[in-house]
Amino acid sequence: MTAPQRLDDRPGDAVQAAPLLDIRGLTVAFPRFGAKSVAALRDIDLTVRKGEVIGLVGESGSGKTMLARSIMQLIPEPGRIDRGRIEFAGQDLRALAPEELRQMRGRDIAMIISNPRGELDPLQTVGQQIGNVLKAHMGMGPRQIRDRVMELLRQVSIPAPERRINAWPHELSGGMAQRVVMAIALACSPKFIISDDATSGLDVTVQAQVLDLMRDLVIARGTSLLFITRDIGVTAHFCDRVAVIYAGQIVETAPRASFFEDPQHPYTLLLLSAFAQDARLRRYWLGNFTAQRTEGVAAAGCAFAARCVRAEARCLAETPVLRETKPGHFARCHFPVER
Amino acid sequence: MTLLAYVARRLVFVLPQLLGIMFVSFMLVKLIPGDPAVMMLGPFATDEGLARLRAELGLDRSVIEQFGIYVMRVLQGDLGTSWQTTLPVTTDLAQRFPATLELVTLSLALALAIGIPVGIAGARDKSGVLRRIADYYGLLAGSLPDFWFALVLIFVFYTMLGIVPAPLGRLDFTIIPPPTITGSLLIDSAVTGNWSAFANAAGHLVLPVLTLGLINAGPILKMTQSTMERMLQAEFSGYAEMCGLPRKVVVRKALRNALPSIVTIVSVLYGFLIGGAVLVEIVFSWGGAGQYAVQGVLNADLNPVLGFVLYSAILSLIIYLIVDLIYFAIDPRTR
Repeated sequence: MTAPQRLDDRPGDAVQAAPLLDIRGLTVAFPRFGAKSVAALRDIDLTVRKGEVIGLVGESGSGKTMLARSIMQLIPEPGRIDRGRIEFAGQDLRALAPEELRQMRGRDIAMIISNPRGELDPLQTVGQQIGNVLKAHMGMGPRQIRDRVMELLRQVSIPAPERRINAWPHELSGGMAQRVVMAIALACSPKFIISDDATSGLDVTVQAQVLDLMRDLVIARGTSLLFITRDIGVTAHFCDRVAVIYAGQIVETAPRASFFEDPQHPYTLLLLSAFAQDARLRRYWLGNFTAQRTEGVAAAGCAFAARCVRAEARCLAETPVLRETKPGHFARCHFPVER
Repeated sequence: MTLLAYVARRLVFVLPQLLGIMFVSFMLVKLIPGDPAVMMLGPFATDEGLARLRAELGLDRSVIEQFGIYVMRVLQGDLGTSWQTTLPVTTDLAQRFPATLELVTLSLALALAIGIPVGIAGARDKSGVLRRIADYYGLLAGSLPDFWFALVLIFVFYTMLGIVPAPLGRLDFTIIPPPTITGSLLIDSAVTGNWSAFANAAGHLVLPVLTLGLINAGPILKMTQSTMERMLQAEFSGYAEMCGLPRKVVVRKALRNALPSIVTIVSVLYGFLIGGAVLVEIVFSWGGAGQYAVQGVLNADLNPVLGFVLYSAILSLIIYLIVDLIYFAIDPRTR
């Protein structure tokens, strides 16, 4: 394959201005019996343009997966969308009928999951599982399916595809299973792929291989990608734009260069420094980030205030909005970090 | 491991298993109070008559010795004689065991035909009407005694409506039974082209099969429903939904994954019903194996009891072997 090896090698018009996915004010809540409902996502704004790769970073429980599931319109019971709009390719997803949504899943929006060996059907071979999708969405016959499956297995660099096509999930290594899931995601040439923590279960070398593969395939096809991860470092050589999610809110989003050179939100700084192996790098990010710890923080106001070393009285009283602090760079903070 | 090697290895273990079952059942049977000699000779037997009979039957020896003698005879194909029917146990069972098998097999087929679809439907819509029907059905089938239900069916369909034959055995007395080939009246009469006997036997099967089928659909339904529910919530089902596979395909995948549990419950029920159908057999004067064994127990006629246990054990072992082969076929992880 002659795919460009780096994002920056793409032709200048690879990322088009028109939004493919446009999320506005999305709020997802879980009602509780006899209590106030819990908001899993609050006021999410996110735009993904055609061909764009967006990294979504956050800790466990921050709402990363919930956001992915909201886009797929598969929010687990009893959660529901309270407010907001999700527009995909000009269509309001919330207005689509269940059957239209089903057809969209896997065909227009595909998902790469994190635990492929647990999520593949243990009683179907690799070929059958990829074939299911082709049959459901493309209406292919057995011969066509077999050809296409072989082609896909080759594309995701699975060695000896003519053997692997008949392999069972329990016979696959983690890396192989991840490639199979990727082949399923690519099967119908979707416009948009969500990778939900896809490489987290793999060891580091395999992880690197799978990431390289994902990047090559996505860039070669001009597919948009929402790359959800807990590892902020991975996003640095992967994504056009990075968004940080904390407690169900997007707290910062910026183009990659601006994000890493000039992070604005205190939480982003903490995340970055936590992943920084190099002490100088950590000093660079945490340079003027050593204010007094504020105690006795209330629930109102900024969600991060309780953990923020820069929190002031205003942070406890007033919820900050996501605002543009530099061109293209947004942060949800009253006192964005200045350099 | 090849299939053949697996089957061969399993068969090697069959003999010791059977020996163990025979030993335990022999000892248990010996614990049943009642002296066969007294039962056989009646209340006016003399003491020396009883002693002579006991010596003849080997009852004066130690239990272990008796067991040894019994095993030696069994190995020669002799299961002893029933003093009630005065026939060899093998002859009696050759007639009665197929009667029970026919009844139990058809009943389970009916139970499957009801339990699996209703169970799947109940698992599919968790708040709908079908779910409620499935729940009530499971509760009802689990709490109704089968013999009582049999009596209700007889009252309605025989006494009131008169649309089924009298609950007196497998055939009307006026019908000449087909020659015994398999022992199943339906198969034997069909093979010999004796359609009047076929129709009559089928008529006699309706109520007992309905009784056992409707009752035993309960556990099958419950097992199907709970396993299907678990499979539909399993990660692979969620992933299939995420891939936009049609609901039909998702359900089919879940069912395939639920199949091993369903096969297991069916095999357990099958083994259980060979003896467990006895009350229904008695109600319908079925003349089946369970009935035969119970009469043996009540009258200290021990050979039929032991013979029945041995036959049931062999059948169960065959069923479990078949079940394992089915697992082989449906689950690649067991290969």
